[in-house]
Amino acid sequence: MRRPQLHWEDVEVGAEIEGFDIEIRPRRTFLQISGSQDWYPVHHDPAFARKAGHEDIFMNTGFLQAALVRVITDWMGDTGFLRKLYFEMRRQQRPGDTMICKGKVTDRYRKDGEGWVELEVWAENERDGVTTPAKAWVILPSRDGV
Amino acid sequence: MAERYDIEAVRQKYIGIEIAKSSGRYPVEYDAIRRHCHMADDNNPLFLDPEYAASTEHGAVLCPPSGWLALYFASLGPWPAVFEPLLPIVPAPGKRIVNMNQEVEWFAHIKVGDHLSVRRRVADIYQKAISIDPEAVWIVAEAIITNQRDETVCAIRNTLLFHRTPEEVAAAKETTP
Repeated sequence: MRRPQLHWEDVEVGAEIEGFDIEIRPRRTFLQISGSQDWYPVHHDPAFARKAGHEDIFMNTGFLQAALVRVITDWMGDTGFLRKLYFEMRRQQRPGDTMICKGKVTDRYRKDGEGWVELEVWAENERDGVTTPAKAWVILPSRDGV
Repeated sequence: MAERYDIEAVRQKYIGIEIAKSSGRYPVEYDAIRRHCHMADDNNPLFLDPEYAASTEHGAVLCPPSGWLALYFASLGPWPAVFEPLLPIVPAPGKRIVNMNQEVEWFAHIKVGDHLSVRRRVADIYQKAISIDPEAVWIVAEAIITNQRDETVCAIRNTLLFHRTPEEVAAAKETTP
């Protein structure tokens, strides 16, 4: 059965986008390496990370991007199109943190005949607040088929 | 005495040059997508379920719109890797790396079975101090990823910070007259 589809006309500026939590435990750091194939030791070797001046290992770009993309693609449905994503690694998600990912709608307009929506999406944790702010541009289908 | 790092010479030599060009050895595959989704508990059937994906307008499993995953299929995934993502070609005083940001623009979906290629170039290089390294170097790299029909599917721009360890910074201070 097809999943429900969000349409451009149904989006309200200011609406919150439901997200999810992920606990950063050892198993998650291994999943991170498996899923990203990023073998740079700063993401799995505490001694390497500390020698570089970090407090501990921290989750990598591939993992953070996968989480942000999940927030967006779960929200936009099968027919939505993520046209652009910009995100910054300002602070770290480390073992012991609970990473919370969510977002909100910041703008909605038509451009070149298509229904565009702008989102703020982010990852945060209790220690540092927002660690990974992101902005996304999504094209959604319209109810009239345009 | 350590040789002085000449940021202007590095900028002149490397900005604008193509640092890597490659085509993925393997097509976009189900299992790499599955592993990618698993790390973030992403259960989207469009990325995981061939039967479901075939019932949609897409007709096939989509690759999640992650620049990281697109780069993986275009070059980094197979072993041995065609190139490392960390731009070792550009000299910098420090070898420790942190990815600071990424911008990905999408122009088309990537589907299972697609063959991806990538061209990467250095867009900018500059020096800006961070708390642990006054001589940290920042490198902006761009990547254009195309599919088997030579269509551009995405453009990626990211900023990498290269820094020294605190020990290396302290050692450099001792050798500076």
